[in-house]
This record gives sequence, C-alpha cells and structure tokens, in this order.
Amino acid sequence: MARIELTNVQKFFGAVQVLRDVNLVIEDGEFVVMLGQSGCGKTTTLRAIAGLETITSGTITIDGKEVQNLKAADRDIAFVFQSFSLYPHMTVEENIAFPLRAVRSKQAEREAEVKEVARFLGIEQLLPRRPSALSGGDMQRVAIGRALVRRPKALLMDEPIGALDAKLREQMRAEIKRLHIARESTSVYVTHDQVEAMSLADRIVVMHDGLLQQVGAPEEVYLRPANLFVAQFVGSPVMNVADVTVEGEGTDALLRIGGANGFRVPSETVSHLNGSPAKLGIRPEAVMLSHDAQDGYIETETTNVEPLGSHDIVDVRVGDETLRARCESGFAGGEGQKLWVALDPHRAHFFDAASGNSLRRTA
Amino acid sequence: MAEVKTRGEVVLNRVAIVAVVVALIVMLTPIYWIASTAFKPRSLATTVPPTVMFEPTLTPFAKLFTKRSQLRQPVEEDVYEAAPWWEKLIYDDGEQVVKNRKTGAITSSGYWDRYKNSLIVSIISTFLAVSMGTLTAYGFSRFKVKGEQDWLFFILSTRMLPPVVVAIPMFLMYRTVGLHDTHLGLIILYTAFNLSFAVWIMKGFVDEIPREYEEAALVDGYTRLQAFWKIVLPEALTGIAATAVFCFIIAWNEYAFALMMTSRNAQTAPPYIPSQVGSGLPDWSVIAAGAFLFLLPVAIFTFLLRNHLLRGMSFGAIRK
Repeated sequence: MARIELTNVQKFFGAVQVLRDVNLVIEDGEFVVMLGQSGCGKTTTLRAIAGLETITSGTITIDGKEVQNLKAADRDIAFVFQSFSLYPHMTVEENIAFPLRAVRSKQAEREAEVKEVARFLGIEQLLPRRPSALSGGDMQRVAIGRALVRRPKALLMDEPIGALDAKLREQMRAEIKRLHIARESTSVYVTHDQVEAMSLADRIVVMHDGLLQQVGAPEEVYLRPANLFVAQFVGSPVMNVADVTVEGEGTDALLRIGGANGFRVPSETVSHLNGSPAKLGIRPEAVMLSHDAQDGYIETETTNVEPLGSHDIVDVRVGDETLRARCESGFAGGEGQKLWVALDPHRAHFFDAASGNSLRRTA
Repeated sequence: MAEVKTRGEVVLNRVAIVAVVVALIVMLTPIYWIASTAFKPRSLATTVPPTVMFEPTLTPFAKLFTKRSQLRQPVEEDVYEAAPWWEKLIYDDGEQVVKNRKTGAITSSGYWDRYKNSLIVSIISTFLAVSMGTLTAYGFSRFKVKGEQDWLFFILSTRMLPPVVVAIPMFLMYRTVGLHDTHLGLIILYTAFNLSFAVWIMKGFVDEIPREYEEAALVDGYTRLQAFWKIVLPEALTGIAATAVFCFIIAWNEYAFALMMTSRNAQTAPPYIPSQVGSGLPDWSVIAAGAFLFLLPVAIFTFLLRNHLLRGMSFGAIRK
C-alpha cells in the first residue's frame, strides 16, 4: 500500500485549464473521496494519478517515487471505472485473472488468487459466467475484484456505483467500506454524491473549477465549510445562504436578512465580522421553528412543505428571503401557516460576500 | 410481448412482407437459373419454355474442367468401360477428352487454375485490406491526428471516381514495372481498392468500442499493443468479419481490371468464364456450372461469418 503525493499539479486541455495547482497528500491506507460537480477536475486528477492522463506540470509521487512520466502499466495502481469496463468476450474468471496474466504469473497461482478474491467478494458462483449475464451490482463486484486481485499499491475508483440504482448503491457503499477496512488499501474515490463522500471518506477533497476547495474529515467539511461553494455543495438539503447585515452593539446583535426584523443573537457570535458585506449560511437543521411566539423568534409564514417521511422540509418567508428549515414530520400543516422562526447562532456560518471565504471566529 | 397493432400497422406489415417476397424472387431467380442450368444436359439448357423438371446430371462439371473435342465415331466398348465415371459422361454427350498422345494425361480446361488465382488474389488482398484498415481505423479513432477529417476524406476520395477511368494508365504502369499478369499486381490493386472502404467501416466499429476497455488493460499492466491485441481486436471481430466479407466479395467479383491486367498466369475466374462463350458453340450448361462453382466461396464465407454479421455491437457489459 502506498502514500500518494501530488505537488503543484496543473493540467491543460488545449487552452482550458482543468487542474490549477493541485497539492494533495493521500496517506497510506487512507480512504480519500474527491467530491465535486461534473467538470470540476476530480476525474482528471484521478486519471492523472493512474497515468491515463498526462499532466502539464507538477509531480505525482507514489511511495516517494515520481511517477508522472511513467506509463499506467508501470504505476502498480488499479482503477475501477464507472462503466465497470468488463471485457465482454471473457468470462468473469478471465476478467479477474486478466491483470495477473500481464505479469505472467503461473496458472495455478492465478487460479488460487482469483478464487480468493472471488470468495472475498462473494462472487465465486459467477466465475464461469459472461459479464453480460450479470446484474449491475455483480458487475461492479467483478470490476472491484479485477482491481484487487493484483494487490495494487492503491485503488482508484471513478464513480464506481454511480450507474447503479439507489438501493443497490447503498448496499455497495457499505461493501466498499467493509472492503477498504479489511484490505487497508489506499483508496481514492471520485463522486459527485455528497452522501457517498460523507459515508465513505476518511478525508473529503472538495473540488471546484480545478481547484481544491477544502480537504478535511467529513465532519469538518460539513461543520466548518471553508467557503460558500463547499457550504452549499455538501449537505442535503442545501444550506440556506442570504445577504446579512449586522446591527447593534453590546450583549446582543441583530442579524437582518431580506429586510425583515432581525434575529437577535449573542454579540460574540458575530464579533469577528468586521462590517464588510457578508453572507449568512445556515443549515436547515439550525433553523428553528415554533408554533408560538418566543423570545428571539420572529413571526413568519410557511410557503412550502416537503414531507420526507422521517422529517419535513419547511420553507418560511423572512423578508424577501426564503429559509428552509428541517423539522419533525407534521410540524407545519401546509402553506400559509403562521409560525415563529429563529436561528441557532452557534451553527451560523458567515462568508465574505466578495470572496465567498468563510469568516470564522479565530477562537 | 403482446403488442397492440393498429389497422394501419397491420396493413403496413403485410405490404412489407409482400415487398420482401418480391425482392427475394428478383434476387434469387438468377441464382436459381444458374444453379439449375449447371445441372442440365446441354440439350435442355436453352429450351423454350425453360425446362423445370429434369434429371440432374454432372456432365457440365465434367466438361468444365477438361478440354474436349467432338467424337467422330462412337467410342469403342472396352475404352468406354475402362473410363472413369466423369469421362463416361463426356462420351455420353458425344465428346471426348483431349489427352496427351504420349502420356495419356488429360488436358485441363484451365478453369481450376483461374479459380485458384481468384482464391489467392481475393484471400490475400482481403487479409491485407482488413488488417491495414483496422490498424488505420484504430489510429484515427484513438489518437489525435492532425487534420484527421482531411485525411479521412482523402482516403474516401480514392473511391470517388469509377475505377475503370484509371484502367488505361494503370495498365501502362503495370506493364512498365512488370506487374502485368502477376498475382502481386492484382493483390496490390484490390488491396488499394478495398482499403478506403475497410478504413471507414472499421473506424465506425472501433469508435463503438469504449476506450475504457483499453484503459482498464493499460492500468492492469498491459502495453498499448497488447491492449489492442487482447481487447480491441476481439471486440472488433464483428466489424472485421463484416468488412472482410465485403472486401472479399468485391475482390472476388472484380471483372474489369482482371480482364485488362491479366492474360494467363494470374487470370482470375470472372474474365475466364465469359471467354468460354466465344470458343465454339456456347455450351450454356458448362458456363452455368463455372458460374455456380464461382458463387460457392462467397456463399460459404458469408455463411460461416453470419453470426458475426448479424450480432449487434451492443453485447458488451459497459454501462453508459
């Protein structure tokens, strides 16, 4: 297993820069998830590590050895494609054995290793079949088996379960996690699905426009997003963001959104804001609703209710803005209901309106 | 699946069936005509109205392979008895096989030599055109080629004028460089002729093979050439088979150049068969026998590859 290090990696496709100065260290045995929208450069980064894409400048090292000029075959890395990419003209067994044939291992060894991986993944009974006769989940298991059989230094996965249906995705997610724990393989996983990222990752790398936005543990990325992009990309439903003005001095400060009456918050929660235009970010679970007037709550009206079974998402009007709140199912009766709303000041995020960077208390 | 069909669809369906039957009749009648004439005795070959019911005979085939002359007087009994079955057929028809006076060896009609020439030239030129075409198509499909579209257009443009237009310059060139009436000459000609076709057809097939297959192989420790050999080629087999069938048919049936560029040594069957019409009284059943045998390789080749021709490209296990 291996430590992968990317230093100042840049990549141009013609005149378009898809990777801007990517610096990233993936520790031995770590599960890193690269998260971002399509076209953000996450897949390009992964393909660059694998050697399927050349980089314009920078270095990539695997276990201290520079590999950016090596061919994919010489990097000792395995890759799982979103399309699974099983060879249709070979049986499952031949597919899994294919990487072993490249190093010309003996047939008996090959068979033993294929068997072992198949047993590990629970696909022994599929070995004589053709890929076209497999279900989506089994195809993915075979693709992972093919990747693991050679005991590569690292396992790279490009949206490996993106093509599966929701239920199977959940199951495969758990399987991939179990597999990672059992094998302790250094894994880099690309996805646009933040739930996958949160549930699988030791560390999440959020990318946007070819730039790393934030690198950190899932809780950190969720609880302390480095900027507006990360804040809005991670978390479902999406974090509420609104222009905010801060008024008042002393023990209480007033947060005004959309020209409505302000929310009263303790002044130490906003004391680090220096008065420049800021945006307030607040996750729906930090928007508190009440059926009756309470201290610090302001009056509002529901505009939409989305029942989701385990909880409801309620939209409430605050001045010109709409805040989405997460509350227990059946809390709001329907549209146009009068409610009182407040914000949890300790879970409020502030971002610089111009740069989008997080304005965080230094304490 | 039970489908609900509207009245219009039912009518359309019937019209389509009728059209297919008509097309089949139009296409199969000449083949039936050749096949039936090839097994008719000479006397029945040109009757009006045509004879449909007859006792099939192999006499036309016996005649096809041999040089013969008219019998002046009936053949002697013991000679007839000693002759093999096919020679008896020829005697029965009032002819005798021309034999070498000293050795007694049979004089061949030359049909089999032409037939062999056809096989040699067609098989080799098909192999060359398909293999070069596949490699070229792979290159165009997988690598960035400067001016790719222009190159592909240039390759296609070699098919834009009727080949016969260049026949006379080709003839003069071939005579000058000594390729006239050689197998090599015809092989080069047919390969060049089929190459553009092979490149274009194969490009379509190779484009359909997802790059990820090769990328998977590259990551798994194979070189590009190995990946091509082990992954792309098996995946492209359907396309290769289809292209090979078409190239083979074109080379096999080619008439104009074969007529002009060959005279004896490398002459193929197509210019030979009609030349037999002119020598003596036309024996239509012998000509039909020659044509019938000539149809067989293409029929067999197509039959062997029919699965590849029919099977779609979408049998893979890739998700898009």
